[in-house]
Amino acid sequence: MPQEKDEPVATADLLRTIASDIHFWIPFLVLLAGLMLLRELH
Amino acid sequence: MFSGLAAGAWLGGAEAPIKMASPDVSPLTVSLIMVCGVFLARWSVPALIRGTSSVGSDVRQAPHLIIWAVLAGCMWSVANTMTIYAIRTVGLSIAFPLWNTNSLLGIFWGFILFNELHYAGWKRWAGVLGGALAMFAGATLLAIASTNQVASAQASRGVIAALTAGILWGTMYIPYRKAYLSGMNPLSFVTFFTIGEFVTMAALAVTYRGPVSLWRELLSARAVVFWLMLGGFVWVIGDLFQQYAAKYVGISRGIPLSNTNQLWGLLWGIFVFHELHGGGHRVYAEVIGGSILMSLGALGIALSSAGEQEHASWQDAAVRESERYGIEADYVRTGMQGVEFDGKTSRRTLLDWVLIAGTSSIFIALAVIAKVPSMDISLAWTAGIATAMLALLVSCGLALWRTTRFR
Repeated sequence: MPQEKDEPVATADLLRTIASDIHFWIPFLVLLAGLMLLRELH
Repeated sequence: MFSGLAAGAWLGGAEAPIKMASPDVSPLTVSLIMVCGVFLARWSVPALIRGTSSVGSDVRQAPHLIIWAVLAGCMWSVANTMTIYAIRTVGLSIAFPLWNTNSLLGIFWGFILFNELHYAGWKRWAGVLGGALAMFAGATLLAIASTNQVASAQASRGVIAALTAGILWGTMYIPYRKAYLSGMNPLSFVTFFTIGEFVTMAALAVTYRGPVSLWRELLSARAVVFWLMLGGFVWVIGDLFQQYAAKYVGISRGIPLSNTNQLWGLLWGIFVFHELHGGGHRVYAEVIGGSILMSLGALGIALSSAGEQEHASWQDAAVRESERYGIEADYVRTGMQGVEFDGKTSRRTLLDWVLIAGTSSIFIALAVIAKVPSMDISLAWTAGIATAMLALLVSCGLALWRTTRFR
């Protein structure tokens, strides 16, 4: 039977793992570029 | 594949109500109203289909996916606002295929980041690359047509806005695929997606318009709020189908398939709103030819379905995700196969029924004060296209229920 996780993953560890993941930075940087262009269009 | 087709019809229909908002209302305000419709739909439709209790279970298993979903929601809001600028400048029938270049980016990210199309064989590669080239050629034709329709300075703003929306949406599929490789249910993903979407859109609208003028604009647009929120609601139905397509056939195939929405956009634009009226044979030929080329491209990509070796390659990407984020292997495996992780079937609670009743009441209240703007709309074509959309919803929804039980 699948088990529930015993301990919640520590938030700091989780954020560190996400920050080291290139999959996060690509969309994040594209989002920033989109926001800058939106400012120009407006 | 069925999900991808239904997604095309509903995503295509979702942009049509934007045409009903007065050009005096800012694109940011229009986008905010649509996002309100999306917000309501994203909390009520999942509640109706599976109940919200399954969302908690998904979050316990893969809490990091909340951040991915919120990030994807932020990207959606910015892209949606761009599309309103584009629709107002170059029209629905031209803007649609331009932002649908997002599928090319989807293929690129799927290949680079998630092992899609690895070991795919030359026939599948030819289908995908040939399709991509056809889509590019179609987009070029449409861009040429747009310069014939409006002043070139305005046209280039519209084309840039539409292409940027395509880049944002194409990159948004990274968080989507990330979630589905980890076995998350699409209905849980969209629940958090909507928070990023709503917060970003509200912040953009308040920052750029100012709270007082935003409120005045919302009041002045109250007669069309229902139509815009309905557009958001319709978009959610299309997006849910798209999410299931991305989950079960990957982003490099699911997204091009759902991009048949441009044909639906073309039907709405030309037949319902009489766009391109008086544009001459050449403009018609460019727009229709460009759209058909892009659709053939999408079809070529969709027919290059993944083989066994490629599926094994996806599994490698899934294992990498579960190791990086400490997700249980069983959760990932059952999620990807579309079976229940803990053997329990989720049930709807009182909260779910409250959400459904609340959303329905808001839509009914807005419908009462709604007015059809005085513009040249073909009601017969509206009824015909809406019937076809409903038929696809029922048939594809049933097919999805039989095969996955919406997991």
